[in-house]
Amino acid sequence: MSEQHDHHSAPRNPYLEKRRTGEETIKLEQRAAAIEELLISKGLVTQEALDRLVEIYEHDLGPMNGAKAVARAWVDEDYKRRLLDNATDAMRELGFGGMQGEHMVAVENTPNVHNVVVCTLCSCYPWPVLGLPPGWYKDPPYRSRIVIEPRSVLREFGLDLDEHVEIRVWDSSAEMRYVVLPERPAGTETFHEAELAALVSRDAMIGVTHVTV
Amino acid sequence: MESTAALPRRSGELVFHDAWERRAFALAVALCENGHFSWDMFRNHLIHEIDAIGETAAHPRPDAPGYYEHWLRSLEKVLVEQGVCPAETFER
Repeated sequence: MSEQHDHHSAPRNPYLEKRRTGEETIKLEQRAAAIEELLISKGLVTQEALDRLVEIYEHDLGPMNGAKAVARAWVDEDYKRRLLDNATDAMRELGFGGMQGEHMVAVENTPNVHNVVVCTLCSCYPWPVLGLPPGWYKDPPYRSRIVIEPRSVLREFGLDLDEHVEIRVWDSSAEMRYVVLPERPAGTETFHEAELAALVSRDAMIGVTHVTV
Repeated sequence: MESTAALPRRSGELVFHDAWERRAFALAVALCENGHFSWDMFRNHLIHEIDAIGETAAHPRPDAPGYYEHWLRSLEKVLVEQGVCPAETFER
């Protein structure tokens, strides 16, 4: 993958090259199609339900949802308290919930503490508010290295934190799915909530970047 | 290899590279939502499949199954385990 096209500037990752040849892809396609046909023929699922599900996950769920919650927390102290107290409920207030949205926990960045999220075992992630995880989140380099050497991994993402900043790495699981409440950037005092939300990226809510103007 | 990662999406970047990945994803979520297995049951298989490959940051194995291949295998296993499909369905 070329650097110019990868605007997320994740660390170089050989796993991104892990694509299958045409023949292997056809076999995988056949395997997936066979399961689908079987389950549809058993009446366990319908094609319409599957199509609707893909539509939702590809278009309706995504970081634009989490960004709304972050912006709300920045302008509304009470909402921020509720978000940090019980993120699942606070997200539901805004209409964001559902599968993988149970047990969400928001962790707040401050000038002295930077939070970053990983799932070391697989790919647990708060789908309703961030969508499906990016490739690098699911791959071994990030999953292992962010725990061992967070400061240098963050530097590879372009985030150079001062030595005095404490880095907290949160390991998401089925019981706890973390989302970072980033710091509101300076110079946004006159911004409306929607303008603020537009600044908040997925990567900032995973904790591998800051929010900037 | 197709470079589809740059396709625009309302919610961010493209999450599926191939159609079968999208299919495998939707099937697991739909069957779980319909109560045929719990997410933890599926996730336990996924964790096991990923772990069994033994890839690390220092030792990538580009030939070993990738994320959605683990996903597909985990789906097959949980369907058999929960008695939704007989074991021979997925024997190769």
